[in-house]
Amino acid sequence: MTGSTTTPRQMRGRAKLRAALVLAFTAGLTSIAQAQTVAEAPNFDRPAQPSLNFYGSPGIIDLPSGEHLPEGQFTTTYSYFGGTSRYNLTFQALPWLSASFRYNGIQNLNLFGFNTYYDRGFDVRFRLLRERKYLPTLTLGLQDFAGTGIYASEYLAATKTFDTPGLGGGDGTLKVTAGLGWGRLGSNGAIGTIGTRGAFNGGDTGGELSVDQWFRGDVAPFAGLEWELDDRWGIKAEYSSDAYELETQQSNVFERKSSLNFGVEYQQSPGLRLGAYYLYGSEIGVNAQIQLNPRHPTQPIRIPAPTPVVPRSQWATEEAHWSPDWAASENKRGQIRDLMADALKADGLTLEAVILEGNVAEVRYRNNRYRSYTLTIGRVARAMARTLPPSVETFRIVPVRRGLGLSTTVIRRSDLEALEFAPEAADALVAVTGFQNAGPLPEGADFSDELYPAFATSISPYAAPAYFDPDQPFRLDVGLDFGASYAPAPGWLVSGTIRHRLAGNVEDGRASNSVLPRVRTNQVEYAQFDTTLENLYVARNWKPASDLYARATVGLLESNFGGVSGEVLWKPVNSRLALGVEGNYVKQRDFDQRFSFQEYSVFTGHASAYYEAPRGFLAQVDVGRYLAGDVGATFSVDKTFNNGWSVGGFFTLTNVSAEEFGEGSFDKGIRFRIPLDWLWGKPSRNAFGLTVRPTQRDGGARLSVPGRLYGQIREGHRKSLVDQKARIWE
Amino acid sequence: MIKQTRLMGALVGLALLAACAKGPERTPLEVEIFSTIREQIALRRAPKQERPPLTRALLDTLGSPYIEVTLEANGIFAYLQPQLVRRDDGPGEVVHWVTEDQVSVTLRDGILIATRGLRGDLLSASTLAQSGGPQGPEGRGARLFDLRFGDHESKTLEMACTVADLGAEPLEIVEITYATHHLQETCEGANGRIVNDFWVDSRTGRVWQSRQWAGPLNGYIRIRQLTL
Repeated sequence: MTGSTTTPRQMRGRAKLRAALVLAFTAGLTSIAQAQTVAEAPNFDRPAQPSLNFYGSPGIIDLPSGEHLPEGQFTTTYSYFGGTSRYNLTFQALPWLSASFRYNGIQNLNLFGFNTYYDRGFDVRFRLLRERKYLPTLTLGLQDFAGTGIYASEYLAATKTFDTPGLGGGDGTLKVTAGLGWGRLGSNGAIGTIGTRGAFNGGDTGGELSVDQWFRGDVAPFAGLEWELDDRWGIKAEYSSDAYELETQQSNVFERKSSLNFGVEYQQSPGLRLGAYYLYGSEIGVNAQIQLNPRHPTQPIRIPAPTPVVPRSQWATEEAHWSPDWAASENKRGQIRDLMADALKADGLTLEAVILEGNVAEVRYRNNRYRSYTLTIGRVARAMARTLPPSVETFRIVPVRRGLGLSTTVIRRSDLEALEFAPEAADALVAVTGFQNAGPLPEGADFSDELYPAFATSISPYAAPAYFDPDQPFRLDVGLDFGASYAPAPGWLVSGTIRHRLAGNVEDGRASNSVLPRVRTNQVEYAQFDTTLENLYVARNWKPASDLYARATVGLLESNFGGVSGEVLWKPVNSRLALGVEGNYVKQRDFDQRFSFQEYSVFTGHASAYYEAPRGFLAQVDVGRYLAGDVGATFSVDKTFNNGWSVGGFFTLTNVSAEEFGEGSFDKGIRFRIPLDWLWGKPSRNAFGLTVRPTQRDGGARLSVPGRLYGQIREGHRKSLVDQKARIWE
Repeated sequence: MIKQTRLMGALVGLALLAACAKGPERTPLEVEIFSTIREQIALRRAPKQERPPLTRALLDTLGSPYIEVTLEANGIFAYLQPQLVRRDDGPGEVVHWVTEDQVSVTLRDGILIATRGLRGDLLSASTLAQSGGPQGPEGRGARLFDLRFGDHESKTLEMACTVADLGAEPLEIVEITYATHHLQETCEGANGRIVNDFWVDSRTGRVWQSRQWAGPLNGYIRIRQLTL
């Protein structure tokens, strides 16, 4: 990317200088020399990002290019032309690997028994070569490789960038792409044939890798040009090797008069690009591209400054101040506990308990505000330095979630005092900090007055969507959730939610045609009732031994099932590996979702292994018995970020055959989570999460138990804490 | 049908207003969204407070130390009071200044070493401060800037710096003129070049005014000592 990375940077520098000069002349504040210093100062701009095509991949208009997105980039595109609409999600999981999910609709196809044909598909792209001085970037792509394959094609695409003059004397970039396509992308102007390729069958269950089809059949060349005129405007042209046989010959969706496509695009903001096009000599098209990068928040977070640590040498000036005798007085300990509770409250944290000894103090606290546990540990350490008598030298800091101590961070008070204003203060402090298992609460713990027993209530709007019904791809119910919970003692929770629907159309969906026990496909039946008891359960969390975490839950666990559930998780604080077992005996709830049950009951449970791999990848394997009684394993990988972002996918293989399973052949899906604090730049622990399955069937379905252990524990363990060490002094 | 839709719309609207949560459990996502939107609307509607013009007569009534800090890029400024004055193992004296709304700036002998409560804060920095003698930087050497960046991480910039004395300059701060020396610190690194300016009292060695780089997001900030 020699050409494309240097040019925009120079352009940005020039634009900054211009802006600074304008400010200088209008406000009379800044001299020209000072404006120059602004332009020259280091900047951490977003890396250059390529534009996207109608399939949501880096490319020209309808065809791909050889380019790749910056690592971690998460993009959404919507494109439309000639009755064809495509919604695409693309994620650049590694610098050389990206994956896409697509939902598309073709109006008036009138084939395979559908008027408008809807389909889902997955793509993957591998970068084979990076751009060098004389070499182009080269990418191998598999398009729609696992669905029913309406867009199935494979390609090799190469792209080279050149610096050119741009609009109005500025700098521009020209990108030249050439490639070879198979399948759909080999259907126009073929130059040869490799073996034979089966025809597309729209009525198939799909879901299986079509390995025997890849790189078979006709192969055709394609080419394209993209000229970036400046930071905002770009024009595109391409020669398409897609004959659109299905749409234009077998059906009459649009008329294909030419193989040439043209377009113009405008970068509205760093995240949004809009394009208008003229395709195949007959159709007007549009494309909206949204690009986000988890490493570059739209709104960098802003948190009120912490109170600095005042060294004891400044205020404990007499010998008597340093005596540890105070620890014997219950009255003094109570006062200190209350001071501590107030100090934590000022930072949005809740004190659970303190254990005060003459030289050592432990604080257990709950964090409902900040994403980063490292940040809260820093804040708690500061609060301890503010409130504890001078004799306390060792701080033990334990974040608590649902009664479980997650880990113990041990910080020496003198380190805290010495290092706050040192160069590289965060590295220096974390280097002398210890991370240990959180022990059981000792007898002498002083509990906060305010917590146990504790009531909490909430009234909250909800939205429950249903996807991919061929008659109507998106249905939605909206209404109100009335939630209440009661925590009588640490680790205990009684919780329930009443749901009232105000409006929606999920109840009009299609009825189940499943031949398996209908454990998940009765969604429509369950949607016939307005006021339901969503859940009502008693849960207990505890630590049976060091490194072990346990949960037991009894009641109406979720909207479809009730029963008993138990889980044990092994996860040492310093380990990247965790192992768990979960067992549940559940009965299917009646459709009205009150207190009664249906006939169907099942024992379901899994043994699970979790591993925190490098580069933020989280791998999980669950082996066991699923809700429909089928036996098998689920494999999932998520790319996680410290800021709460995660993007991943999963699939489940069980002893249910593809025919019994139905559409899709086996259970699979993608999921992502976008944190609220990342979007808004103010602290929050909430996130928007979405799991998308091409089809929800009954095979490979799992119970949805509230409060599963692993996700809550991991964040408070060493790897997460040290990965975010930059935040300890924030 | 339209009536029904309207009724539903009104009900949904009412539901959004009713969203609330009480107790020590985490607030549900939807409740948090609506409460933040309500806060933002209230903030937009709140009348802007005008600050009186700065005069020495007004400053004389304060009776405590104040500095004025301005973000050069947008002209936003604030008055800060010292929250902590201390010494540590490093050279010089550290003063931690803070605004009423919890934005802080930390100076070591007048040299910026940290900000908090802004976006993309300067987490820590080394300086060319010298023990004893006048405040401000001196000589030449490496400086480290640890800046909040990326995915809850930081980015450390290492720069080679030299300090030049540009000579005597009288400096006026709200009706008082001080005899100062203009020191200019120039730092260069792989990512770019920064220039920090200091106006140091020729007699007492105090930094009266400076213009210093606070990171890519906040750019240059201007600091003036209004009162002692």
